[in-house]
Amino acid sequence: MAVAQAVEPKEVTNTQGAKSGSQGSKGEVERARLRMMMLIRRFEERTYQEYTKPGQKIGGFCHLYSGQEAIAVAIAAHFRKGVDALINGYRCHGHSLALGMDPKPAMAELFGKATGCSKGKGGSMHFFDAEAGNHGGHGIVGGQLPLGLGFAFSQWYKKNSGVTFCLFGDGAINQGTHNEALNMASLLKVPCIFMVENNLMAMGTQVERHSAVTDLSQRAAGYNMPARNVDAMDLDIAIAEIGKAVERGRNNEGPSYLVMNTYRYRGHSMSDPLKYRPKEEADKWKARDPITLYEARLREQKLVDDPWLETAAEEIAATVNEAIAKADSDPHPELDDRFDDILAETYPYGS
Amino acid sequence: MTEEMERDENVFLMGEEVAQYNGAYKVSEGMLAKFGPRRVFDTPISEAAFSGLGVGAATMGLRPIIEFMSWSFTLVCLDQIVNNAANVRYMSGGQYKVPIVFRGGNGIAHQLGATHSHRVETIYARIPGLIVVSPSTAYDAKGLLKSSIRCNDPVIFLESEKMLNETSEVPDDPEFLLPLGVANVEREGSEVTVVSYGRTMQRVTRAAVKSLVDEGVDVELIDLRTLRPLDTATLVQSIQKTGRCVIVDEDYGYCGMGQAIMASVYKRVFDYLDAPIAHVHSDEIPVPFNHYLEEAMMPSEERVIAAVKDVCYR
Ligand SMILES: Cc1ncc(C[n+]2csc(CCOP(=O)(O)OP(=O)(O)O)c2C)c(N)n1
Ligand SMILES: [Mg+2]
Repeated sequence: MAVAQAVEPKEVTNTQGAKSGSQGSKGEVERARLRMMMLIRRFEERTYQEYTKPGQKIGGFCHLYSGQEAIAVAIAAHFRKGVDALINGYRCHGHSLALGMDPKPAMAELFGKATGCSKGKGGSMHFFDAEAGNHGGHGIVGGQLPLGLGFAFSQWYKKNSGVTFCLFGDGAINQGTHNEALNMASLLKVPCIFMVENNLMAMGTQVERHSAVTDLSQRAAGYNMPARNVDAMDLDIAIAEIGKAVERGRNNEGPSYLVMNTYRYRGHSMSDPLKYRPKEEADKWKARDPITLYEARLREQKLVDDPWLETAAEEIAATVNEAIAKADSDPHPELDDRFDDILAETYPYGS
Repeated sequence: MTEEMERDENVFLMGEEVAQYNGAYKVSEGMLAKFGPRRVFDTPISEAAFSGLGVGAATMGLRPIIEFMSWSFTLVCLDQIVNNAANVRYMSGGQYKVPIVFRGGNGIAHQLGATHSHRVETIYARIPGLIVVSPSTAYDAKGLLKSSIRCNDPVIFLESEKMLNETSEVPDDPEFLLPLGVANVEREGSEVTVVSYGRTMQRVTRAAVKSLVDEGVDVELIDLRTLRPLDTATLVQSIQKTGRCVIVDEDYGYCGMGQAIMASVYKRVFDYLDAPIAHVHSDEIPVPFNHYLEEAMMPSEERVIAAVKDVCYR
């Protein structure tokens, strides 16, 4: 499942902390990153269309990642498959694709199909990909932080120089788990990279209405770990800043706290009419769209040009359409499948 | 809520998105505009803090209404409800009372997956010191909620986001109250007692009972309305009369609400029973995302009808 056939396979194996131009032709890594952001955007926007069209085939809560793509792709730039781990909240499609999930099982999960990445049992909020080190999307706000602590603990325990990317939203910092997990991570000096995806809103509640300080890096003060604000609309900055935390983790120097400042373009979930924020605010952020920004940079460096971009856009559109068509025609799980996957062992008198 | 807030200055509403967003499910629409920001509050996603805040405020004489977006999210603040709300009165030897209402959506909505679909009734109904209420119509919701707000004990008020669009005739009388701890015999009958509550009533039980009655089975239908304290008097009386009983809920079977109800009445109805009490409940599985699997795990009309016929030897 961790094979990204959707994009040219060679170009997305950027989970090895690849440095620019270190492998293959010049700009290959950069183009793969741009392409991945484009794929995530397309996947999310097509999901929006599928969700909202008559005869809706996607059900339940569905939270889109549009606008925040650079974060997932920047993590993937450092991610070492086999030792690293990632966990996040329910806004989890982008990270899954960036870590190499094929769009087909991703889309199939949204449709609740047996071929989905969680066999149709998880849905939009619960994309899992064990092989990729993707420990899933989690639905209870803040519930994933202690699990991230546990992954980092096991990396420390096994001395495998792996690190954990533990992601959560700005709203989640107000859960008790945030306090408890940060303190323990620092005490134990485990390689946990706490990353707030600060899109300035927790549902309809703006940061200034839910946090006593709006500079969220201050919320990690008092835990004896470095905390920084990161411009997460700029992929290169995000990669560089995450890199410092990754190095610290791999060198056994302990946890870090990164506030990834970003913006969510769509409503919180599908039913959100977005009445609470002025259009000008969204426009201001969209003017620094992570994809447009990175594309312009690669153009300037002559790493991409119009024909490349057109072809990439067409291929991505086709890939996502294929994923939708396949998800639509794939089978639902058998009704009896609902009794599977509950316990790992069998017992004399059932579960 | 609005009527009770107009009536009593000490009542206030707090929860995630209840004020400026007008409620995640629009339950509190217009209330911020009406009562202002001193009485209708948005909170951070800090269930432990704001449910505990409510308990503290209640012991100080206020009458908080604490809204949870979903009862599933109260697993992160169980301590505040189970240890604090339920025990403060007892541990202080009766010096404090805790007049608070915790309310929100309970149970399986639709395709919200395993973490958002908990049926929490037995988590709370087993705790002495709590009142657990579960309305099944708009009429009941109004009368029971008003009584809950006026109640001097902590009330766990279990709504369902799937029932928020249900309408029924609701009295305008600001003194319209329904008693807590009293079940409602919704239909009198002689042949078999069907017991249910909350959304299950609306989703399957009523329709199943209607088909049974149409087929000539004289069902007595009891809507529990309150799960703790349980109105065992009404149940025992009915089952002694009919000699047969089917309990329908969406909770799990094992350690679930139905088993608790059965155990509460068995001794007193045993000699009157013509068949063992039957229980139609959800499968013993986490709630799957897929629509068909989710439907399959819950009680269906067919399963209720089959269970009733089975105990009636039809
Ligand atoms: C404990 C808990 N409380 C409430 C919710 C309902 N809820 C889901 S998402 C959300 C907002 C979270 O915002 P944020 O953490 O900023 O993440 P974002 O959606 O912006 O990515 C809320 C209140 C929940 N899932 N879990
Ligand atoms: Mg947010």
